[in-house]
Amino acid sequence: MSLWDSPSGEYFTSYEERMGLVRWRIEKLVAIFGVPLPFLVPLGVELGLIGRGQMTFMAFIMITAIAVIGLNIILGYAGEIVLAQGAFMAIGAWTATRLINAGTGLIPALLAGGVVTGLVSLVVGLPSFRVKGFYIAITTLALQFIAEWFFANPELSILHGGTRHSLPRSIGLLGDFVVITRGDASFYYLALVSLTLVALLSWNISRSSVGRSLKAVRDNDLAAQVLGVNVYLNKLLAFSLGGFVIGVAGGLYAFYLRHIEVDFFTIQMTIDHYVMLIFGGLGYVWGAIIGTGLVTLLLDYLRSGIITFAQTFGLSPSATAIRPIIFGFIIIIVLIVEPKGLMAVLGKVKEYLRNWPYAY
Amino acid sequence: MVNVGLALEIVVSGIGLGSLYALVAIGFSLIYKVTDVLNFAQGQIALVGAYAIVVFAGLEFVGPFTAVALAILLGVALGIVLERAIFRYFVGEPVLSIIIVTLALIGIFQGTVRMVPRGGPTFRGYPDAILVDFSVPLVMGVTMRGTFALGVVFALATMLLLMAFFKYTVMGSVLRASASDEQAAMALGVSIERNIMIAWTLSSVITVIGGILLAMARGGAGMAIEATGIVILAAVILGGLDSIPGAFIGSIVVGLLEQLGTFYIEPYLGPGFGPVLPLLFLLVVIVVIPYGLFGTERIERL
Repeated sequence: MSLWDSPSGEYFTSYEERMGLVRWRIEKLVAIFGVPLPFLVPLGVELGLIGRGQMTFMAFIMITAIAVIGLNIILGYAGEIVLAQGAFMAIGAWTATRLINAGTGLIPALLAGGVVTGLVSLVVGLPSFRVKGFYIAITTLALQFIAEWFFANPELSILHGGTRHSLPRSIGLLGDFVVITRGDASFYYLALVSLTLVALLSWNISRSSVGRSLKAVRDNDLAAQVLGVNVYLNKLLAFSLGGFVIGVAGGLYAFYLRHIEVDFFTIQMTIDHYVMLIFGGLGYVWGAIIGTGLVTLLLDYLRSGIITFAQTFGLSPSATAIRPIIFGFIIIIVLIVEPKGLMAVLGKVKEYLRNWPYAY
Repeated sequence: MVNVGLALEIVVSGIGLGSLYALVAIGFSLIYKVTDVLNFAQGQIALVGAYAIVVFAGLEFVGPFTAVALAILLGVALGIVLERAIFRYFVGEPVLSIIIVTLALIGIFQGTVRMVPRGGPTFRGYPDAILVDFSVPLVMGVTMRGTFALGVVFALATMLLLMAFFKYTVMGSVLRASASDEQAAMALGVSIERNIMIAWTLSSVITVIGGILLAMARGGAGMAIEATGIVILAAVILGGLDSIPGAFIGSIVVGLLEQLGTFYIEPYLGPGFGPVLPLLFLLVVIVVIPYGLFGTERIERL
């Protein structure tokens, strides 16, 4: 069977083929023509087709997407409602920043940030032995509040090293080797490669036995336990893995911002990331990436649109407070109309086209 | 040497603060009990109530006490609007959707309070007429501030009235029926939508009163009131999520912890530790007694 002509229906002859990453014609097309596209963006910048700022903005979207994929591991795969996204990002950011400023370079700093965040996330997950759903949401919300106090408190500098930190513009990957400069093509590649690695990791989890156990726990933990899945262990695994990924994203985000303080890591960040994941489609890596892109663009347009609107009509700067109001209403309307997100809409469109022109 | 007088003073103010929290916490557990919604925007409803006084009192021909009445009416309207516009679409929806909706409400309320003239984020003093300046003498020369005394009275009355409401009235048993099994209640002709509306209206009125009292204790409305929404989580977990007397007792404990933390631990660990202590306590409670002191333990079957 050649690359292009695959028959209609499933004709997989081995289990490996059935569970492969690239299975259908459309996926082969994407793999050949779609995957190289993001790598060409810096070339576009060289040719003057894309602005340098736009490239950095894309890198920002990718960094956010990493955090949302991390959230997806905890929320989408294991079904635990963790409302401490801002706190986890802050922990990753502070750890990575301190190590970078100590001169270790990016890779050790990001990994350490991930590990520390993963450990904190694991500790937060410990009560899931006895409680679930609501209770985890409440404990993690409490953690978010505690973290905001902790990182804003100058008296605890022994522990976190200061309430504000700055990062250099250029950082080596390891020590001083392979210098990455923020705003450069190298920064873009750093974000892109990190996102690809994290996406592959998440994908491979979801199609391995670990992923199936996690989904069993999410759908019905009691039934999963009866079938011999170690519910608690799987939940803790999801917490630590998701926490690790979010922590790495926190470190990258700190490099993007180049200046961290607790105001960047509030509950608003948690809400934004949740909206991104749910708009895209809970439980799908693609959903996380597409949702992040769309919602980030929406937020950006909303911000600039409101500022332009306020300036044209001579309104006071307090008009920017309307942004969370509009955003809140959009969230509620989308949840009423299509609670399963964009991936479900795409699935419906696909189903419609498959049956077209005969609906039945 | 521990100063007994100071310690008593702190305990009394802790109980007072706790009873103010109790009003917000009762609003929270009322909604959870009847509609199974965890309302993370409870603190923002209190915030709306607190600023409503400033906005209404600033209007012409509106006296301070009319403003209080208008704010309470606003609470009623808020409950009805929330049911009509939002929560009736989310009956039977997954937990996650409902949590996201309440998180979205945080943004909506916060933004609205910032938008309105005379609203946030700056501190707005209350008119003198509604600021109580008496204080209630207690044993050993310790006095309780008037606002706190009002809070204790309001919170106790609300709790007792609600308990009686749930126990002795037909409406109360209808609410309990739909709380324990929504589908069975619907099959017996109970209107879930009406129940949701009653729960939200009662809850937002109680919360608005709580918000006004919290603002009175500070001398005026400020954005700090919204943190109440987080602190009461510790209270409702300790008392049991769906228990109204539990919410009251939990709030008293939380108020005490906050005051003790503010006076005795804050000098060592930095400012703002007061509200953090109840949250640390929450993390312990959730591991030791996850269903709280009076909460219903849910038994799961296949």
